Amino acid sequence: MKLVIEHLSKQYRRDFWGLRDFDLELGPGVIGLLGPNGAGKSTLMRMLATITQPTEGTIKWNGADIVRSPNTLRTVLGYLPQDFGVYPNLTGLEFLEYMAAIKGMDAKSARRRIDELLTVVNLVNAARRPLGGYSGGMKQRVGIAQALLNDPQLLIVDEPTVGLDPEERIRFRNLLSDLSGERIIILSTHIVSDVEATATEIVIVNKGCKLQHAAPEKLLQVLESKVWQWLVPSEELALLKQKYIISGTIRRNDGIQVRVVNDEPPTSEAQSVSPTLEDVYLSLVSHNGVTH
Amino acid sequence: MKTLRLIYHLARADFLERTRRYSFFVMLGVVLWFGYLSASGQFRMRVPPDYLGVINSAWVGATMTITVTLLLGWFGFYLVKGSVSRDYETGVGQIMAATPLSRPLYTLGKWLSNFAVLSIMILILMVVGIFMNLLYGTPDFNLWALAAPLLLIALPCMAIVAAVAVLFETIHWLRGGLGNIVYFFVFMIATVASGLGMASSTGEANRYRSFSDFAGWQLIGDSISRAAQTAYPESTGGFAFSITYLENPKMFLWNGIDWTLEEILPRFVFVLAAIGFALLAAVFFDRFNPSRVFPTKRKRAGSNDPEPVTPVEAIPVSNVHLTPLTGVQNRFRFGALFIAELKLFLKGQPWWWYTIALGLIAAQLFSEIEITRILLVVSWTWPILILGGLGCRESRHDTRQIIFSAPRPLMNQLPAAWLAAFTVIALMGSGALVRFIIAGETTSLLGWVTGVLFIPSLALTCGVLTGSSKTFEVLYVLWMYMLTQNAPPFDFAGMTPESPWYIYAPMVVVLLIITIFARQWQLTTRSSYR
Repeated sequence: MKLVIEHLSKQYRRDFWGLRDFDLELGPGVIGLLGPNGAGKSTLMRMLATITQPTEGTIKWNGADIVRSPNTLRTVLGYLPQDFGVYPNLTGLEFLEYMAAIKGMDAKSARRRIDELLTVVNLVNAARRPLGGYSGGMKQRVGIAQALLNDPQLLIVDEPTVGLDPEERIRFRNLLSDLSGERIIILSTHIVSDVEATATEIVIVNKGCKLQHAAPEKLLQVLESKVWQWLVPSEELALLKQKYIISGTIRRNDGIQVRVVNDEPPTSEAQSVSPTLEDVYLSLVSHNGVTH
Repeated sequence: MKTLRLIYHLARADFLERTRRYSFFVMLGVVLWFGYLSASGQFRMRVPPDYLGVINSAWVGATMTITVTLLLGWFGFYLVKGSVSRDYETGVGQIMAATPLSRPLYTLGKWLSNFAVLSIMILILMVVGIFMNLLYGTPDFNLWALAAPLLLIALPCMAIVAAVAVLFETIHWLRGGLGNIVYFFVFMIATVASGLGMASSTGEANRYRSFSDFAGWQLIGDSISRAAQTAYPESTGGFAFSITYLENPKMFLWNGIDWTLEEILPRFVFVLAAIGFALLAAVFFDRFNPSRVFPTKRKRAGSNDPEPVTPVEAIPVSNVHLTPLTGVQNRFRFGALFIAELKLFLKGQPWWWYTIALGLIAAQLFSEIEITRILLVVSWTWPILILGGLGCRESRHDTRQIIFSAPRPLMNQLPAAWLAAFTVIALMGSGALVRFIIAGETTSLLGWVTGVLFIPSLALTCGVLTGSSKTFEVLYVLWMYMLTQNAPPFDFAGMTPESPWYIYAPMVVVLLIITIFARQWQLTTRSSYR
């Protein structure tokens, strides 16, 4: 099972590229896709999901070019877009039945799968209510369920935990961990803790380019002994923001505890602390591709 | 001052949003084309049977005015309607509702923006008219004679159309497709009323009903009729607007309406009436408060619940597991998808919708053959609102990314959707089918077959091409109206012996080919999901 992306580019306007010369090779596991707004994550996911065609480059699923023959991938694809709608007059159950028919599943296995999925996404009690009356989080869970209907080999989920309450978010994280085995899961999110909890590999994207692709441990190793923490008076914070990459602040009664990513200790009081993925992410994105 | 600024910015943002849309430029193109036809004398105002005005500034201005009040009065409504709905759909409305913006200010702002969109078209048309007049017109070019009817008749008429669009959008049940159909008949009745007092062809001049003549047809018609009678005393008057070619027309000179206060004042009354409509809309406007709409939906939601569900305990978050689908082959089954599409098609209608549908089918079966034909038209019009969703449901409900990433959306989902619509249309006309077979009505039978193929194809093509149900709803209601008027060129259903059903049958293939290519293009090259 292999997904290979080579020189992938997407041009929206003459002077604007959503993605530029993007290369990636993925095997089974959960791949966390991180990047700021407008970085090109959704563009990449839509091309992988065969919704949008690339301007340049190739995407190969087990050797087959999915730009030329998208149906090769579509039969084993599960896709949860960032923004999607539902048919308000159908119940949750009917909508999933409809999606199962669209995906070509036979009635018996579809019904069994839908029952299980409704339980997993905790929608059994609402399954026979029209979707028009669902809350945002419930619609999101219907979206998750439809993406998992055909037991996909490639699961692409774009901001899946948006609108979910903390319990449902953790449930989804656990579900991803359970699913990660013999399949490729691409998870795009702004919530670094979601990636921290599930991802086996991390890809950081900015301005349409890939900044990093590595295992979380490798990324953390890069920043070993480069993250510092110390207490400063409140009025010094603005000055520090201009000088350093600040990855966190905590207000205390005797000042502000700042967390800084820097090669050298910023002051003699600064203590080295263990890096987190948030530090790595901010460091890479703040350098704006310098580490590319 | 603050209020005016608020209305201005509300209208400005809305105006900019709309004039940057594809549909605005399409409509502008159509208006300009019709303007050209008017200014070049291809659209003709005449006094029956063959009295024609000399093409001068006044004649061009009046012809353009009649064209624009007919075209924009009718289709302009569909162009501008949707701005309030957009605020509901995009959620912008909820943000606005959290500001001190009052309901009358909101509806006035929307009216102003609608009016601005329609006015800009008229002003562009006027510029085109001036150029055309200078190119082809008489040497004595008269700017006032050309511009006056557009400014004093067409603009107030657009003010009314703009306000009615806001009013329809604020009344919950008129906001969607039903409103589009209702407006069709409202406009038709209003224009008939507008021309009611016109001098008849028998020479009998009726009293000018200035306050019902919102489209100015009577005002222009009477003036032209009088000019023709002055030049040709044998003329019996009357007024017609058509594209009829006249072999040897009798030409007369018309220098335009003599604008006095008596003519001008009612025009301003129409503008005031438009403001009144916009303010009336504020009464119905729910200010994006969902609680004013939800009770009925909740009620319906409850009735959709066939059996009470025993609350099921959620599985613990730490114990989430999904069984792999081993040994299951995902093989496409058209039957399952067809059933799913049919369910999607028919779901969400109230019980009386189905009752009336069944009543119409039964009535076709037991009526006289002529009545059956009329009932067939009514039955085929009945599912217009659900047919309107064909091909555009995916954009309307934003399910495109989910549906189009499924295997073979072009060869699986699209034919299943078409077949579901075909089945509904065939069912709706099943009573007539039996009746035609029993009566041995071959033409009607062939027309019936053409109809069940043509209607879903037209709906699917319109939906896929425009991404909206509006085009189909407007076109279809107009078409079905023409069917009831026994107009042979529109008669795809074999209503008349002269029905050209044999032209419509191959047209089905053309429509489907267009649809397939359009959807294929949307699937492969479209990048608007960014």
